[in-house]
Amino acid sequence: MNVRKINLIKINFLILTLLVFLGSAVPLLQAGGNLLIKNAHLLTVTKGELKGDVLIQNGLIKQIGENLTAPAGTRVIEANGRYLIPGIIDTHTHIALSGTNEGTEAITPEVNMADVINPDDTSIFTALTGGVTMVHTMHGSANPIGGVNVVLKLKWGKPSEELIVKEAYPTLKFALGENVKQSNRILLPGRPQRYPATRMGANAIIRRELLRAKEYLAEWERYEKLSRAKNPPANLLPPRKDLRLEVLADLLRGKLLARCHAYVATEMIEFLNLAKEFNFKIGAFEHAWEAYKITDELLAAGVGISVFIDSWAYKMEAAEGIAYNAAYCTKRGLLVSINSDSGERIRRLFNEAGKAVKYGLTPDEALKLITINAAKQLGVDKYVGSIEVGKQADLALFTEHPMSAYTRCDMTIIEGEVYFDRDEIIKEREAAAAKKGGN
Amino acid sequence: MRAVSKKLKFKLGRLALALALTAIFVASLTPRAQAEVKPAYALLNCRIVAAPGQTIEKGKIIVRDGLIEAVGPAEKIPVPPDAEVIEASGLTAYPGLISAHTNLFLDVKEQDQPQNPEDYFSSFLQPSEPQEYPDLLVLKGLKPKLTTVQAYHRAGITTVVVAPNRGIFQGQSVVLNLNGENLNPMVIKQPWALHLNFTTERGVYPSSLMGTVAFIRQKFYDTQHYAQHWKKYLASPAGLKRPEYDPFLEALVPFVVDKKPVVFQCNNQEDIKRALKIIKEFQLNGILTGANEAWRVIEVIKQARLPLLVSLDFRAPATSLFAQQGEAARKKAESELYPANAAALQKENISFALTSFGLTDSSFLKNVQLAIKSGLSPETALRALTVEPARILGLEKQLGTIEKGKIANLILTRGPLFEDKTKVVKVLVDGILFNYEEKGQ
Repeated sequence: MNVRKINLIKINFLILTLLVFLGSAVPLLQAGGNLLIKNAHLLTVTKGELKGDVLIQNGLIKQIGENLTAPAGTRVIEANGRYLIPGIIDTHTHIALSGTNEGTEAITPEVNMADVINPDDTSIFTALTGGVTMVHTMHGSANPIGGVNVVLKLKWGKPSEELIVKEAYPTLKFALGENVKQSNRILLPGRPQRYPATRMGANAIIRRELLRAKEYLAEWERYEKLSRAKNPPANLLPPRKDLRLEVLADLLRGKLLARCHAYVATEMIEFLNLAKEFNFKIGAFEHAWEAYKITDELLAAGVGISVFIDSWAYKMEAAEGIAYNAAYCTKRGLLVSINSDSGERIRRLFNEAGKAVKYGLTPDEALKLITINAAKQLGVDKYVGSIEVGKQADLALFTEHPMSAYTRCDMTIIEGEVYFDRDEIIKEREAAAAKKGGN
Repeated sequence: MRAVSKKLKFKLGRLALALALTAIFVASLTPRAQAEVKPAYALLNCRIVAAPGQTIEKGKIIVRDGLIEAVGPAEKIPVPPDAEVIEASGLTAYPGLISAHTNLFLDVKEQDQPQNPEDYFSSFLQPSEPQEYPDLLVLKGLKPKLTTVQAYHRAGITTVVVAPNRGIFQGQSVVLNLNGENLNPMVIKQPWALHLNFTTERGVYPSSLMGTVAFIRQKFYDTQHYAQHWKKYLASPAGLKRPEYDPFLEALVPFVVDKKPVVFQCNNQEDIKRALKIIKEFQLNGILTGANEAWRVIEVIKQARLPLLVSLDFRAPATSLFAQQGEAARKKAESELYPANAAALQKENISFALTSFGLTDSSFLKNVQLAIKSGLSPETALRALTVEPARILGLEKQLGTIEKGKIANLILTRGPLFEDKTKVVKVLVDGILFNYEEKGQ
């Protein structure tokens, strides 16, 4: 993955150089959140297909229709019949972070990805070139209980705090299977195998920690009751504040959703049972290669999946994955999204979704996998995920239908500001090359 | 009796003169600097920059017993009969520079950080013992060397903070006056501050940056709880179980509860935000150090209004965009963008101290010059190396300016400070004279 990433960085090298040295850290071609996009082929996702214009004011979609006019000074983008779609949302990545796993211990819910956002990660720009405007960037899958994840808008060049989507569901990463039991690790002499080393161990350790969190909640409740009493005990001390258990307590309080990395059907069923036992909510299963085997159970629990389209069988636990998983589960009524899990694949997430057409979905259904479905899974469908009046103007302009193999992203817009414009970048690249002496 | 003493003084004076002449003769023969101790010096006819923006064109400074006895225009200050006279015409006297973050005299090897903390195999080669030293007093491990002291003198630096440099909780720093190589007389403030770095453990928790943030916060919460428990216990132990003694938390109590200074090493723009968040959460007496990406988060810095120790290290942090785009882009940023950090702070009227953290004595001076070329005014540079660090260290009554009653830390230069060809030719630290005049000058 690293090698691929480096190659990609090289491709974008000139572009980035220009961005950095001409405009320091401001996004390119800012339009101040006001735009008029003319003559586009609109794939609204929720309101069908239209031909017309989109007027954006203060970052929001103000009007959709034909022959729209904009206040003087508004930048007009001529789409010339190109496809305008909602900005693509990746529900599972690890980009824009300084670090992925706190892998030394099995249980680390106290770590928070929002503490380590790196707005300088060039993967952000890479993603923009593929029309991606929002990511759910997550703790890795090294631990049964990883860390708190964060949802970002890919506002390249903006300070880290402006990237965070506060409206999104707060989520906590869980993981099961080969990664957490470290079955693909080479153990060197003198290094003990970390607990858990089996799938039953993974289930047991999560259960153990949730029981501890329950006790912790009860301990605080006892303390608060005593401290509120008319005559509190003279030597009353609050319990130790344990950040690890605080986060798990929030899960039990319903303030966080679990996002669980899982491959095989049995471990997913076990996790559904844990959720039932401890009454916590699952946002989605990640990867979920065997979801097609348990669609009834998933439907009953109301749990969706965030999956790859067709890269199955790359390890033992993916052996029974099928490329029809996403399409079949969608048809069965599950909420399905396609994720990249990669700083490279993220720029062609639309191609990944497009493959679902081969496996049985219509192009419209396939497009939902990376737009409105993803927005629903992240709890932001009120704001993004479709082209509707009142929603945030997170949009991407494609040369062909985005589910076509021949398409290409020309422009990516977040809240009415252009963060990627292929034409401009090509011009700048040529100018930079000319300046350098025509190399 | 009086006559006798006068005679004795005269004799002693002659002896002193003879000795001084010998010393000067010896000094002129040997390029190596000579340290001398005299009860009193009178520096005559020098230009004096007593404080940034405060200049006496032809002045006199009397130094006695390590302190400044008098300073002023030449005609107003009498030369005490017992003072050794130093003719300093053509020289400029400045307050000794203060570098409020160094790792001087630390007898530790450079820490070899893993290139990629998640590198699978390197994790096996890593120590599995946590490297955390909240109770470390850096003073205890210091071995001052005269050659290092002299090199810093030549860069104009007379006072340093020596901070520990390993782990996340690195330990407690000391303020030293570079007056020789005997440690105890050098100490000005011990300990000064607790130092933290946003680094990671290797092979043990926390091995990731997000783990480090959680680890620091948990330790601070634990310290609050620990201190509260002990306080209750000491007030009325009956019916309350004795808290278990914890050396880690015990060491943090003065900083978390009593609000002694806590210095956060900020290796990039995001570290600055991380530090500010923690400082706010625990209401610490926080100080930021490093911060060579302060220019990228200038608004955040402006609002925070915290003491800043800005390193003159212009290397782009590995996380930064400028380091991700190849050698040419990195070099360009390091020669054009990072040196303008101090100028950007100056432009926003943010006060800051400059430090030599991460630099050698020679690269320090070179980088001050580069910062000035990038827009920093020489006066602000001087302030950032004298008055500002003295204030941040709580030593503004002792250090930072040439003022009556302050510690006699002076540097005498031929030419204006921070200019290319300017040389530091004499240095006084705690009133101890060091000569750096080279042969033939």
